[in-house]
Amino acid sequence: MTPAMEFRSGLREIMPLAMGVVIYGLAFGVLAAQAMMGGLETGAMGTLVFAGAAQIVAVERLVAGAGSVAALVAGIALNLRLILVTASIRDFFVGRPWWQVALGAHFSTDENWAMTVAARKAGRDVGYWHLVGGGAGLFTAWVGATVAGVLFASAIPEPRALGIDFAFTAAFILIARTLWQGHRDLAPWGTSVAVVAIALWSRMLDPSWALILGGVAGAAVAGIAGDD
Amino acid sequence: MTDPWIVTLGLCAGTFSARLGGILLGQRLPTGGAWARALNALPGTLIVALVAGQLFQGGLNEWIAGALAAAVAFTTRSLVLTMAVGIATVYVLRTYT
Repeated sequence: MTPAMEFRSGLREIMPLAMGVVIYGLAFGVLAAQAMMGGLETGAMGTLVFAGAAQIVAVERLVAGAGSVAALVAGIALNLRLILVTASIRDFFVGRPWWQVALGAHFSTDENWAMTVAARKAGRDVGYWHLVGGGAGLFTAWVGATVAGVLFASAIPEPRALGIDFAFTAAFILIARTLWQGHRDLAPWGTSVAVVAIALWSRMLDPSWALILGGVAGAAVAGIAGDD
Repeated sequence: MTDPWIVTLGLCAGTFSARLGGILLGQRLPTGGAWARALNALPGTLIVALVAGQLFQGGLNEWIAGALAAAVAFTTRSLVLTMAVGIATVYVLRTYT
């Protein structure tokens, strides 16, 4: 596949998830309005940070009056998982010029990463440009929707009341189904779920650290106990 | 500088470092053996941890909707259908129970 074809197929396949991102973006805009942010500040944050969950958590902390340092720590803790996300697709970046590495890194999010990884597991010959195509779709949706959300904040209903906050949970369930490769995934995946459950129920870790620990623990089981 | 700009610039630096750091770290790890098996398993374990975290933070409504969404995911493998069933189920449960 040529880079242009790959880019277009990534862009096309991300559309259902980009719809979900639009709704989240509108909700973030409402939150940003409560933090006294305007269209310029919201657009700059979406463009420069481009990490929805972390932006929501950080601005929610600002609205709660926690101050900018506490808001930053919360947002960055949530984004540490991105180290694992891009490490798992290290092959995409081998031998690329620095600007393509930087672009692909900035455009790596949960949604398009999972989409491209799932497409490869299904045997399709896609990689870097598929990821970037999906990222471009998500970036446009996120920046556009967050700015629209902050400008028209008073006209937007609460997404939780409509069940729309569940959109990404459902999407990740489908992606997990696509990544499942049979019984050898059972022990690593079971470990991830168990570690997250214990960490959250015992209240030892907050959700962003529980997620990282669960993902790493499961991968460690696959590394140590698995065979090639 | 106002708080939103401090948070924007700080999150920009922290987030881009995490994304770039993962690529650099990944490329320095060996391409065979235990490290490679762990990195190959990472997408699946991370996604499962993400879903588990979201469900554990929710309640019975979210678990029921998650189970129905999983059933649809396994039978149809359709992203749009899975999202639609998950959202509709959680909406109905939250509204009428």
